[in-house]
Amino acid sequence: MSHKVCQPPSLLDRWMQENNELVNKWQQEAGGDAVSRDQKAHLRSCSSEFHKLLQKIQGVPPLADHTQLELTVVYNACVCSVAQSHFSEAELLLIQATERVLQITGDNPVATDPPVFWKTALKSVANTALNSSIQYILCLQWAIWLATCQLKTIQEFQDELFSLSESLSTGDRVDRRSGASGKSSDIPLLVMDPRRLFELLQICTYIAQGAEKLSEGQSSEALSVLQTASSLPAPKTLVAYTHLLSGSCLTHMSCPQMALQCYRKALETDSWCVCALYQSMLIYRQLSNTQAEIQALRLLHSTLMLPSATEPALAGTHLLSPSLLLCSKPLNSLLSVPSALFVLHSLAQKCVIYGRVSEGVECYLDLLNTLHSEDQHGMHIEVHSLPRLPELYLEAGAALLMARRPTDCMALCDEVISTTLELLPDKLVLEEPEEKCEAEARPVGEEGEDRVGMLLWTGAAYLLQGHCHTNLKDWKQAVTHYTRCINLLVKVHFKRRGFQPQIPSVDMVGKQGTDLYILQRLKGLSLAGRGISFSQTDQLREALRDLQLSLQAFPDCVGAGLWCGEVLWRLGRRREAAACWEKTWSFTTQSSAENLSLYLKEPQSGPLLDSTELRHRIQGLGPTLSA
Amino acid sequence: MDGRCAVETWAEFGFSGASCTPTVRFGAGAGVFICTGSDEVYVFSAEERKLTTVLLFPAPVSDLVESADKQHLYVACRNGVYCVSLQFLLSRAHSSPADASSSPVELKISHECLVVPEEGVLSLLPVGSVLLTLSQRDTSWVFTVYNSPNQSASSSCEMLASYSLPQASGVVRNDTEGRTGMRRRPVLICVHSSDTTTPPPSSSEATSTDGQFCLEPVLFKLLFGIDAALAKSPVILCGLPDGCLCFLPLRLPGSRLRVLHSLEQPVVFVGACVVMETGPGHAQCLVAMGELGRVVLIKTDKGGPERGGSIAGFIERCVPGPVMCGCVDEKCLYYSTGSDLLTLDLSQGGEERDEEISSKTGAALQSPASLNVCRVIAVAEPTCNTAGEVQLLGLSVRGQLQRITLPMRREDASLSKVASSQVGRNVRDLLSAIGDVCERATTLKTAIKSKNQILTHLNQVLNISFLLITSTNSEEHLLQERPIRCHAVTKWSRLLQKDSLNLTCVLDNSSPYVLEQGWTLSITVFPLSYSPSTGGESPSTNFSFPFHNLHPGETLEVSLPLAAAGDSAFPMTLSCSLVFSLSSLLGEEAANVPSLQSSCFSLPLNTLTVDWLHALQVNRPIANHKKATSQCSETAMDTIQAFLSSRRIRHSGRKDGGGESSSKPEQEQFSASMRVSSELLRDTLVLKSSGLDPQGPMLAPQNVCLSLLEWLLCEGPGEVRTEHQGDKISSSVIHGQCPNGHTVKLSAKEVNVREESLGKEESLTTVEVHIESSSITAVCGLHHAVLHRVQTLLQRAPERPASTKTVQSLGLRQALQRAEHLSQQIQQSRVSGAFGVGASTGKMTRSLLRVYRELRENPLLII
Repeated sequence: MSHKVCQPPSLLDRWMQENNELVNKWQQEAGGDAVSRDQKAHLRSCSSEFHKLLQKIQGVPPLADHTQLELTVVYNACVCSVAQSHFSEAELLLIQATERVLQITGDNPVATDPPVFWKTALKSVANTALNSSIQYILCLQWAIWLATCQLKTIQEFQDELFSLSESLSTGDRVDRRSGASGKSSDIPLLVMDPRRLFELLQICTYIAQGAEKLSEGQSSEALSVLQTASSLPAPKTLVAYTHLLSGSCLTHMSCPQMALQCYRKALETDSWCVCALYQSMLIYRQLSNTQAEIQALRLLHSTLMLPSATEPALAGTHLLSPSLLLCSKPLNSLLSVPSALFVLHSLAQKCVIYGRVSEGVECYLDLLNTLHSEDQHGMHIEVHSLPRLPELYLEAGAALLMARRPTDCMALCDEVISTTLELLPDKLVLEEPEEKCEAEARPVGEEGEDRVGMLLWTGAAYLLQGHCHTNLKDWKQAVTHYTRCINLLVKVHFKRRGFQPQIPSVDMVGKQGTDLYILQRLKGLSLAGRGISFSQTDQLREALRDLQLSLQAFPDCVGAGLWCGEVLWRLGRRREAAACWEKTWSFTTQSSAENLSLYLKEPQSGPLLDSTELRHRIQGLGPTLSA
Repeated sequence: MDGRCAVETWAEFGFSGASCTPTVRFGAGAGVFICTGSDEVYVFSAEERKLTTVLLFPAPVSDLVESADKQHLYVACRNGVYCVSLQFLLSRAHSSPADASSSPVELKISHECLVVPEEGVLSLLPVGSVLLTLSQRDTSWVFTVYNSPNQSASSSCEMLASYSLPQASGVVRNDTEGRTGMRRRPVLICVHSSDTTTPPPSSSEATSTDGQFCLEPVLFKLLFGIDAALAKSPVILCGLPDGCLCFLPLRLPGSRLRVLHSLEQPVVFVGACVVMETGPGHAQCLVAMGELGRVVLIKTDKGGPERGGSIAGFIERCVPGPVMCGCVDEKCLYYSTGSDLLTLDLSQGGEERDEEISSKTGAALQSPASLNVCRVIAVAEPTCNTAGEVQLLGLSVRGQLQRITLPMRREDASLSKVASSQVGRNVRDLLSAIGDVCERATTLKTAIKSKNQILTHLNQVLNISFLLITSTNSEEHLLQERPIRCHAVTKWSRLLQKDSLNLTCVLDNSSPYVLEQGWTLSITVFPLSYSPSTGGESPSTNFSFPFHNLHPGETLEVSLPLAAAGDSAFPMTLSCSLVFSLSSLLGEEAANVPSLQSSCFSLPLNTLTVDWLHALQVNRPIANHKKATSQCSETAMDTIQAFLSSRRIRHSGRKDGGGESSSKPEQEQFSASMRVSSELLRDTLVLKSSGLDPQGPMLAPQNVCLSLLEWLLCEGPGEVRTEHQGDKISSSVIHGQCPNGHTVKLSAKEVNVREESLGKEESLTTVEVHIESSSITAVCGLHHAVLHRVQTLLQRAPERPASTKTVQSLGLRQALQRAEHLSQQIQQSRVSGAFGVGASTGKMTRSLLRVYRELRENPLLII
């Protein structure tokens, strides 16, 4: 008997020793502050070592004596595999090992359905020494399901999985006790504490399920799931996620204030949770709380500019990171945060729109500076993309103009013009966009689109330059630049479906946002600008012609309307002038060009006409009118 | 390219079948880095012309590149990217012991130098402060941007961004890859827009160091978008082994890898070149080259009239591949096919581009010039030495580092030189065109000449044809006047103990026309009668004698074997004809047309008859008189044999003399005779033979007999004569031998025929010709022959008053009586023969023979 016992343990001992050595080595390496990439290589080598060991062990037929060790090695090998995202390999290993266990216990299930299979396995080893080992293994299976987004399977099996908790903790305690009493070499060591694994899996499952439900529109159910999760023991990042997702649920349930509370909680839990900041910024925007929005953007930007913002440090769980387990699409879209540049651009835009021009200008200049710096490496391929660079330039130019820095604005416009000028087409046909594909009407990089875009950008650049000269009261130059803009714009022909291409008539106005709309708007603005400039040099006929054309192309143009009246007035056509003014005042209220690019807005810097003075004039005219 | 390349081998490295594309790169301080795909990187000093250092890496090296600030060397190994300080390298190389000249320093690069632990990096490119790596993961290409190690705090590089591009499928792969297992390295270059205000530190020149190019701004904007131009971002251009040419603006937010073009074959080389000197050395053109020889030139193109502006033009052409490696200088693309190093002048294409003949551009691109350097598998960037010569640094397939100095290209005279070379080419073209025309004219001339010749030839042929046709139609009148005719001479000859009768046929052309090439004299020989044993068919033999020109008055002599001894198929008819074949007229061209082979026409000349007399071998008694000395043994033998045989026959004849028994036909002597009036003979023969007046001296009777015999034997009536050797016949009895071997006695004597019944005194002198032989065939044949000749004699006889009619009428009556009697006999025998009851065939034959003999025995007198 003793002889018989003596032989196998020696082999067993050797295997166990090998396993423990590997685990110790791993923990030493991982414990040290080595760089994560080194860790990856180390992980790879460890993984292969574990697999080799496992092959050796599985080379002999399943024996009850070995099984404990075998399952431990399986666990270790699989943890490594999962950590490297080799899910199918790990799953195969798990099922093979479990089948070997079932061979020992005598049950031979042929269930292909994973939950049934695992239930059988759990039942057959219940009340044996192998119970806890099988449960570890099941945890890994759970991790694989989670990582491969098989939430349905988890749902089916949830009770069993969550009940693992108790047995694991007890089993763990038993193990530990025995480990404390016996020699360390007697017990096969594990690379990762199953208890930690269970906790991680549990909260990740809740989070994934919450995100799933949220995406399916079941916000309240999601909220309840997430609330349960938030009280679980877990890394604070994950807890912050639960708060964040709760906030999203509340947003969907139209409780912005409560959502804001949740986001705040998330931020309090994990100060790196930039997503919460971003989401609260969105809520402020929704609530039209401009000041708070700008504040949030500013905070967001500064947070994003911190070096480690993008890499959330997840201490304690070296091997299986939450990001590995949380990979479902809805969750990722919820957690995504735009890049710092995008935030900066939003900030700049908001600042300018809401009157904080100097701040906005600073942001724009920051933005352009960042774009030109060598450290910028365009790393983010994201949903929230910046506008095209020329547009950024033009916006910045417009902001500079607003900040009364016309020379800087002109420099930026010059840059745009010099870039595009050589590439401008002599003639361009703009086709009426299909109604349906309007959303995808502007795929970036399409050459045809680019040509239209380039022409419009150049036109806008000339327009801005014209504005700058107007601002500087250099009327001649202003006329020149406005004329350049007009000459450029008339190159565009518009093609309606079923018609020949033609120069868009002045009264043809496209929908807002389309190229045609921008074209007509540019045309209107440039004609108005030229008209105003002419009026300043007392070329009243030309001025009237241009202003009237401008009003035809772009009837909402306030400046053109007012100045048209003024020119008419000067020409002595006072009644017409009065009618023109009245008309202009009537549509000023309804013109809302909120989401128009900055450079397409009417300049506020040109020669202004005082409305009250005009009203006085009308009043002065009034009696005669009524008479 | 004029002149040859100077190739200087600097060093030789062991070169085993590498797993990756070998690399040669220039480094700082005249250093050359060579990697052959093994674990080693060689550092070669171009100044000292020796290998200074060998760097040993833990894994095979796939790429190496110098950092932008020339301080570090990045080496991509299989297990990661290593960074080696060049300062350290230099110091190690210099601090080595004094005998460094002999052996290079070996440096083992440890794991500490590993800066990017990314596995399977294929290509490297430093851009400013960052390092770009390209590796292949499963089915996609992964570009990763790393911070340079000196920039980041830690010793290893910090990853900044990563991009991936799915691998294209369905690329034409050269099977060298499969064969050698060599992985082609993706090509990475960095392109800057040349209007960037702050040029990147490494690219002070237009086309400068490793993979940094400044591109003309318009093209840059067209290709990479104006955002990249506005951001002044360098653009990474990458040629992948799957044929994709993709680009990545490095510093653009939200930029991604985009495919610029697809070569559909592994990209070997990507570069930029100046092509035209318009700007301050900005590259005007991007060049990409595929492994199978596809060259893509990317240039700015004028847009069409409806589009306006500029567009990027992709000119795609093919040169003969496979392309192993390539490089580009300002104007030329150099590439190696492994068997040759070739250069492609890109500026040439550019000039023609301006003329908007893009097809010609292709033509220019397709004519690379050979530099006659073979086995180059890797080249470094071309450099210019002080003399202005372009130098390439190449690595040969056997691991030799070679400096290839290209023939001088005179920059100042480049324009005129191009012109002069073009002029030369034009002249060459013109000359060759002239040569072509000349050649064609010559052929045409020859053809016309030959046609003319054929026409004259044909004219002659037609003349002759008409001549012959008319003469055939009017045969009877113009027998003698036939301008083209044959006559023949028979002669017995003895060869190999066998006698044979030869006929010499002479074609006499007395026409005014030339019988030119293409005519064939055709003689058909067939016996007049033939035995039924031949199957009822005429056993004719045909002889053809093609001949060349036969001028008027000339004769053509041909001889043909007529019969051998023992052959008795006489008389024979020789029908002569002239055959003309059209194919000969047309010459060699027609020889190949099978249907023309038989196209010929035949024009009959005249017909000759060779009868028994011609075939008779006369045993001449004169042979005995002849001096034995002068006679050759053959003749003697002949004579002796003839003599013996004649003796024997005569003897046997004498034995049965006169006996008319029919028991033994062999011993039977048959005879036939005929009578010809001497007067007639005298009139004809003597007239003919002596040419004297026939009324003149009377010939002796003996004389008449002799001359008759002689005439019969020698001359004959027709165009066939018999040539007998020896003298004239002296005796009136001639013994001879027939072709069938029987002896024949031919005798002539003068007989007076007297007519008593009328009481007239007039007696007629006649010459009786008697034929006697043991062979009835011979007798018959000879008799027929003699009769036939005498008939012709009669035709020739001059008209005379018929004084002897009475005699004749008397003779005629007798003859008629006999003939009637004989005819009755014949009829009887025929009737009995027909019924087959009266008599046996033998009896019938006998009776017929008797009739025949009776007919022969009592000849009519021929006057």
